[in-house]
Amino acid sequence: MPETLVQIEPKPPRGDWRNPKVEFRKGAMCYSAAAKNLTYLGLPNPRAWQPADSDWKLPPDWKKIILDGMKDRLAKYRSFRLFMDICVRCGACADKCHFYLGTADPKNMPVARAELIRSVYRRYFTLTGRLFGSLAGGRELTEDVIKEWFYYFYQCTQCRRCSVFCPYGIDTAEITLIGRELLNLIGCNINWVMEPVANCYRTGNHLGIQPHGFKDSIDFAADEASEITGLDIEVPINRKGAEILFVMPSADYFATPHYYTLLGYMMLFREIGLDYTVSAYASEGGNFGSFASHELMKRLNAKIYDEARRLGVKWILGGECGHMWRVLHQYMDTMNGPADFLEVPVSPITGTVFEHARSTKMVHICEFTADLIHHGKIKLDPRRNDHWTVTYHDSCNPARGMGLLEEPRYILNHVSRRFHEMPENTIREQTFCCGSGAGLGTDENLEVRLRGGFPRANAVKYVKQKHGVNLLTCICAIDKATLPTLLEYWVPGVEVGGIHELVGNALVMTGEKERTTDLRGEPLAREEVMAGGESEAAHA
Amino acid sequence: MSVEAVIVERWVDRALKSYPSEMHSFLGGEKDPFRNPVGNTFRENLAALVHELLGTMDKEKIAGALDGLVRLRAVQNFTPGEALHFVFDLRPVIGEVSGAISDPLQSRIDELALMAFDQYMSCRERIFELRINELRMWARSAAAGEGGTP
Repeated sequence: MPETLVQIEPKPPRGDWRNPKVEFRKGAMCYSAAAKNLTYLGLPNPRAWQPADSDWKLPPDWKKIILDGMKDRLAKYRSFRLFMDICVRCGACADKCHFYLGTADPKNMPVARAELIRSVYRRYFTLTGRLFGSLAGGRELTEDVIKEWFYYFYQCTQCRRCSVFCPYGIDTAEITLIGRELLNLIGCNINWVMEPVANCYRTGNHLGIQPHGFKDSIDFAADEASEITGLDIEVPINRKGAEILFVMPSADYFATPHYYTLLGYMMLFREIGLDYTVSAYASEGGNFGSFASHELMKRLNAKIYDEARRLGVKWILGGECGHMWRVLHQYMDTMNGPADFLEVPVSPITGTVFEHARSTKMVHICEFTADLIHHGKIKLDPRRNDHWTVTYHDSCNPARGMGLLEEPRYILNHVSRRFHEMPENTIREQTFCCGSGAGLGTDENLEVRLRGGFPRANAVKYVKQKHGVNLLTCICAIDKATLPTLLEYWVPGVEVGGIHELVGNALVMTGEKERTTDLRGEPLAREEVMAGGESEAAHA
Repeated sequence: MSVEAVIVERWVDRALKSYPSEMHSFLGGEKDPFRNPVGNTFRENLAALVHELLGTMDKEKIAGALDGLVRLRAVQNFTPGEALHFVFDLRPVIGEVSGAISDPLQSRIDELALMAFDQYMSCRERIFELRINELRMWARSAAAGEGGTP
């Protein structure tokens, strides 16, 4: 009988938050950026190192570089200075972070994570901090602090859930971004961010797919959409003079389940006869630069307007992407605008003027499709999705970053007869992040992702048990890439799909052949097959 | 309050002490299952385990409750021993409440511990399997795109 075991009191000693020591464990950390990627992007200190190494091979004057970098950014970004000064530690944000909830690590409270950098700000940039040091809440900047920043700023997905609850509107995503920017200055960055950024910069998309590869992928998907519908579906590429440039996340044409959403877009555009083009140059909506620095975000984002100008389109339509929309909504206009060479977007099918996009000239596909449905311009048979019992995960950036809450639900309610919401405090503005955004969605970091994704999965499990939900829909490429793994672990039996995949299933196309499968090639349920393309249930 | 409820309350309280002290009031105090999924996982599943240990020892129900707990502990920042320590927290709790633990109950707790080990290993294997699946998927995508590694 192990009496000694029984006596163990597993109470960790109360720690001092100012102690910056962290332990990097394999399976719960991201690998460092490969030197070749930093070199390609012209970023400092390319070298071979890993976070678990004791020597991070920092430049000799790393401390000066960081403090100068902070000084520059405090002058350049009023938001940063404000966020450093204004927090009153009210704690409203504390229990709102999915990483805090999933890891139960107090330093993952947004206030505490920000405090890691704020304490250095106080020590070096405020009078009281310079005079009184730790008594005034200041901390010395040491190598351990740099490691701690790296550890925690790469445990934030910049999802901004905490900001919803902050009475001062402190945007922790901005603090994380600046934290990562500062780390970039001394070459402490992760490969899952820097390689996609380097690839996007070089070839336009995050896998580094070259124009001929892009064309192959698009043509392959168009062939498949043609086969499913029996219609001739073609997708124009780099077509000058098209009315609309369509930009999507690159995962839509190389990954599943994104691919089914791509089929859905193609079928929709064919049905309404949209005058559009995709581009091999602006072949990535996702902005991995926004995970690393304002400067890299701007460099990648510029490609969209540049290509719109080159092709001479009137306006831009964007696909189911996450970060693309936050960048659009919060930065694009001032960063790379004004897009005065484009026109205010008008739907060529309904005549709706998208007033909200008057400045950016870019419209979300869900806004566009919801408008089509609202005006009765497409015929839908929701019974073709009866094999799915659906819930909707508000992807952080479209939801919190641009306020896109109603349109996806409006569409879902027209393409599905079995749509159930997750609990109120886990959706809309309060949606829980997938736990893998902002560059964290890599396999070597899976355990951290599983922790961060736990609050979301917990809500999915609830609707699975209550309503038999078997499909989680979302409108973000990172969600679609990472949630399948998370759900396989936390809630087996729930798959992940896009809104326009369900639109593609339900869309009754003029002259199409009878559908016997959905876009995944899965046979439709018996009742759906019998309903066929001319179903009485079809409604506009 | 029933004996069973007292045991559950104390077991939850003790098990949650494996988390940093700054977390205790939140994990133990916040009752909304979606605002506090970790605390709720403990409350719900430890209650089910106590009910079975003191009752009919339904294997299926025990496995379900253990799964909820161990699936969580297997991904958090714990060694295997720390992750499963909550099972052994039950002995002192029952000792406090009833003074002694009967032999049959001792055996049941041992059985619970063994089931927890199995479940833990299965979760860890699943994590590695999922990692491999993701790597395979990315390798396929990279090859398809003729590009660099993602």
